[in-house]
Amino acid sequence: MARVKQVSEHRAEGDVERVYHELRQTLRVSGVDVSLRTWAAHPRFFVAMWEALGPNVETRAFEELAAGLWQEVLDTTVRWEVLGAWSAVELGPSQRFHARGALELYEAMQPRVMLMLSAVRLALEGHVVGRRGVPGELERLERGIPSRMAAMEWVAPKPRDATTRTLFADIEKTVGPPGVPGEYRALACWPEYLEAAWRRLKPRMKDDDFRAAAESLRESARRRALALPFEVALSRERVAALGENVEAILKVTQALETRLPSLLLNLSRLVQDVPDILRQPMPGAARLVPDWVAAEELR
Amino acid sequence: MNWREWQRQQEVVELGQRFVSYVDWGRGSPVVLLHGMPTWGYLWSGLARGLATSHRVLVPDLLGHGFSDRRDRFDRSLSRQAEALEAWLDRLGVVDAAVVGHDVGGGVAQQLAVRFPRRVGRLCLMDSVSYDAWPLPLMAQFGTPWMARRLSPERMVGLLSWALKSRGFAKKPSSELVEGLLAPYATEVGMVSLSRDAVALNTNQTQVVSPKLGHLAVPVLVMWGAKDQVLPTKYGERLVWDIPGARWMPVPEAGHFLMWDAPHVVAMELFRFLEGEAPVTRAPERPVAEVLWSEGAPG
Repeated sequence: MARVKQVSEHRAEGDVERVYHELRQTLRVSGVDVSLRTWAAHPRFFVAMWEALGPNVETRAFEELAAGLWQEVLDTTVRWEVLGAWSAVELGPSQRFHARGALELYEAMQPRVMLMLSAVRLALEGHVVGRRGVPGELERLERGIPSRMAAMEWVAPKPRDATTRTLFADIEKTVGPPGVPGEYRALACWPEYLEAAWRRLKPRMKDDDFRAAAESLRESARRRALALPFEVALSRERVAALGENVEAILKVTQALETRLPSLLLNLSRLVQDVPDILRQPMPGAARLVPDWVAAEELR
Repeated sequence: MNWREWQRQQEVVELGQRFVSYVDWGRGSPVVLLHGMPTWGYLWSGLARGLATSHRVLVPDLLGHGFSDRRDRFDRSLSRQAEALEAWLDRLGVVDAAVVGHDVGGGVAQQLAVRFPRRVGRLCLMDSVSYDAWPLPLMAQFGTPWMARRLSPERMVGLLSWALKSRGFAKKPSSELVEGLLAPYATEVGMVSLSRDAVALNTNQTQVVSPKLGHLAVPVLVMWGAKDQVLPTKYGERLVWDIPGARWMPVPEAGHFLMWDAPHVVAMELFRFLEGEAPVTRAPERPVAEVLWSEGAPG
């Protein structure tokens, strides 16, 4: 697959900028990750995607589905060998503080993104995604980024440092398109750590039980996506009617959905390698609000 | 020392919902070194190790700068920076300290000395923002939305690198130093944070404390690179005239970043000042403009 364009947050304009804001507020994370930035290269689809998924994403039910998926990931990898990267490198207190913050951020975000990817892929492949609930009837989560969440910070995709550049090329080749995943670009802020982690993560990714675990997660995410509380009104016809390239969008969505289970397994190993990380980093406050309040206050 | 090693030495303290990264070296009477913009604590890496042989050297990254908190959640004005530093000193158990401020850090030091006089036992201002001498047009430009939109982090760092090399130093700096000074800004988060810092630059923040500088009751040293192309020496001279008993120390072969252009001279003078030695230089001739202003210009 050719390198796919991503829309960075500071270059997002118009509706894409608005949806980025909504995503940060609703997912309660401090930035917009690679998967979403890649979708944003197709702006009309991106807005339609958010219109279809947003009512789901803001619910407690969505958070519980994502939390269940993440628990599954943790349960799988906790039986595996300890990674040992965190203790293998010489990081100072500030570096550990920031690296831990980055891991907490991705731990909070990636399971939710996985559910979104699965839902969109299934919808574009013609499945009926989500139940026929009526928006406004379910408990919504309080919007806003938790105060202690780290900023989403990345090293450039083609860093000047030759070692990191080589590392990125290897990561991209191993995990698949499109582009270096956000968590690895974040961890590249501490290149020795990323190198030590990747050296340990990569060989395991070739194992049969790793692949089986990734496949199982993919299926689990799809099952959970199908159980979203509200129907995801997205289809090939709708996307085509918006004037977007359906095949290109489906292709990139498939690529993202294919690689994310492996990334989640790796992220889980990274998280479990850090002794004092917060395992439940961002429990969202919830409230039940009627639609008319949501229309003004939450949107 | 390269910037990654410096960052490794940093510790982190959380102040409410913000955090400050800082270096804390040595034992003895505390000295706080404040950097300016667009730099961070690494600015002092050449001087801090030597100072730490006889003092407790504390080098924070100002909020929004370096590896301190850079999220969009706080006011970055000089007065708020001073308040955060006061809280930070409190957390570290430092009752009072000698405070050395360069560039914008000098403005924060002025605020600290005027508003929290018991915290500041001695004050050294190096090529400091003061009166209406700032903000510099280039730095102010970084706060404009069009600039933030059009620049990528790589281009912004390239522009800053050019500005530092061509205007900041009297001697050619090493690429490693310039890269290190700008390293925290080489990401999207860094660039956006720098933009927020630039928005906070406001000449009123020094103008408001200028009339109060005459009431400072602590030893003051004003050290200035005589070849400073960023903040002309006349502002340093004016500070010396306005602060009773202040000692004037122009550094002939140095530009704005005097601690790198003339490290031995700066270190020696700073040591003397911290040890309370008598002044070795006289106050400057009173600036003509100042005489006219204070005595009433004819006509």
